[in-house]
Amino acid sequence: MKKDQIRDQLASGKMSRRQFNRTLMALGASTVMMPMGARTALGDSGDHPTVFTWEGWEVPEFHGAYIEKHGASPNFAIFADEEEAFAKMRAGFKVDITQPCTYKIPMWYDAGILEPIDTNRLSNWPDITPSLKTIPGTVFNGKPYFIPTDWGQTSVLYRPDLAPEYEDNETWGILWDPKYKGRLSMSNSLVDGVMVAAIYSGAKNPFDMTDAEMEKTRAALKEQLPLIRFYWDSPTEVEQALASGELVAGTTWNDSYATMKAEGHNVKYMSPKEGAMTWVCGFCIMTDHDPAKIDKIYDYIDAYMSVEAGIFDITEYGYGHGNAKAFEQVDSQTLADLGFVSSNPDDMLSSGIFQVAMANEAELQEMFDEVKAGL
Amino acid sequence: MRGYTMLSPTFIAMVLGLAMPLVVLFTLSFWLQEYLDFIRTFSFANYFEFFHKPIYRKLLLKSIRISGIVTIATVLLAYPMAYFIAFRIKKNKLVWLILITVPFWTSYLLRVFAWKIMLGYNGVINSGLISLGFISEPLAFLLYNPTSVVITLAHAWAAFAILPIYVSLEKIDRSLLEAARDLGESAWMTFLRVTLPLSLPGVIAASLLVFIPTVGDYVTPSLVGGPRGIMIGNVIQSMFGESQNWPMGAAISVMSMFTVAVIISLFLWGTHSSRKRIA
Repeated sequence: MKKDQIRDQLASGKMSRRQFNRTLMALGASTVMMPMGARTALGDSGDHPTVFTWEGWEVPEFHGAYIEKHGASPNFAIFADEEEAFAKMRAGFKVDITQPCTYKIPMWYDAGILEPIDTNRLSNWPDITPSLKTIPGTVFNGKPYFIPTDWGQTSVLYRPDLAPEYEDNETWGILWDPKYKGRLSMSNSLVDGVMVAAIYSGAKNPFDMTDAEMEKTRAALKEQLPLIRFYWDSPTEVEQALASGELVAGTTWNDSYATMKAEGHNVKYMSPKEGAMTWVCGFCIMTDHDPAKIDKIYDYIDAYMSVEAGIFDITEYGYGHGNAKAFEQVDSQTLADLGFVSSNPDDMLSSGIFQVAMANEAELQEMFDEVKAGL
Repeated sequence: MRGYTMLSPTFIAMVLGLAMPLVVLFTLSFWLQEYLDFIRTFSFANYFEFFHKPIYRKLLLKSIRISGIVTIATVLLAYPMAYFIAFRIKKNKLVWLILITVPFWTSYLLRVFAWKIMLGYNGVINSGLISLGFISEPLAFLLYNPTSVVITLAHAWAAFAILPIYVSLEKIDRSLLEAARDLGESAWMTFLRVTLPLSLPGVIAASLLVFIPTVGDYVTPSLVGGPRGIMIGNVIQSMFGESQNWPMGAAISVMSMFTVAVIISLFLWGTHSSRKRIA
């Protein structure tokens, strides 16, 4: 029925009740299904790409050059871990850039959500540490899918005043010490949590375990459960608990150490004899990015890769930065205080246990849930 | 027909927002997940797994137990408050009702965090007891266990219990209470034989409003439940997240909904028949 036809019929009173109701119904249906107005209601934020990243990596100090050029920060969405990010994107959340760690790249590549990156468009690309450019599982068919930005460690942060006996005996084993029952914490994740139990229980390759090793890891998790105060989801949780003395030790990333040191807390970051875990995170461009924003996408990545952003990353967060030149700008004493053994990521990455893709994630998650359920 | 027309916007919203997702969930629960893809063939494998692996049964029972305790605690605590406003407050009842709901104007998450601050190691209770000299070391058992989940949930859902109970108490004909007293019943027996039965619809509504949503809650247990605090909602969440097994997550959700529906039906049937006996 045409629009003016409806009007005529209404005016002349010719429309039957049934017809009128049908029209009303159609109106109702289309009102309910209408999208809620235009999405660009907030100024020009629609012109900027959306970056999906970790908490703390969205601060303006990381992308000063982008702000200078485009007058504002891009849009940010924060994830707690890559699994959450992946689930959201699979459910239809559209973003332009993400910042996962290398161990997730193969799976994301398989899911077809990553796009190859044109490194010629990045002015800082030549300054990136060469070994980080070719990490296995980040290059497919000779094309890079990953721009390394940050690298660091997962290790134990502890209070030497509360557990002095571990100062000369740094080991993951502190997280299994019954003496500190109820005062220990571990990350509530597979890669930074369950893998710790795998290393502690002596798995040869924690990221690809045999059935026997899986059972040993399960036993280690079960043994540890009564000693754990909580599994942490946010670094702030574990930092506060360590500061107050609620916790004696917990697994953290470097930035917790840098933050707590800067606040004057008496904490030490372990180099466990079994080896600390090491990781590299960085940018990916998503296949369903907005093509109109591609220049800004590359500008953002380039800004994050700059020497200025790198110095901030190193001195404030205690992370290594992908840009090798950034290290030249930081004096060796500062680096030593932050716990850097070397400014060359190769030294650190080869000394630790490098986090790669886990072979049996679903099984590991089920195991972790079962242990928490008391099974 | 006019009735249906007036209903139609709501009806369409219900179909799109409630029925459709349920159909999707139900369909999904009969599929299978392989790495990143769904296998779209009809299969009972997820349901078989649900009954085969002890974790799901155990966590579902645990969630029902915790929610049951939360429901009883919430209703017991809400009833006196609702009674007080309905019978003792003569002026400005609205102000009192608003005052009671004020804490619920803040976000749910904020209220959970508030309990972390109350019960925490350096929390209000611990530092209060230390400064009063009752204890020298903070009490660790206050937080990160099932009890703290019960406390947090009982507070977080209090408003949903107070309001329906208040409404049913408010509706009671005051002359019935007078008649009971005139006929020689004591105050306590009047409450038991007149007030309580007449306010049961409110109590039932309150129980349902608290029980149904708390069974599936996963935010509260993951924030204040500690290492052993997980409930069925956390496993559903990890199926849709870390485990990347949406069909299994859907099957657990369906089973959880089904179980809750059975419990609610039994509860309603039980209260219905007991009310008939009282009447």
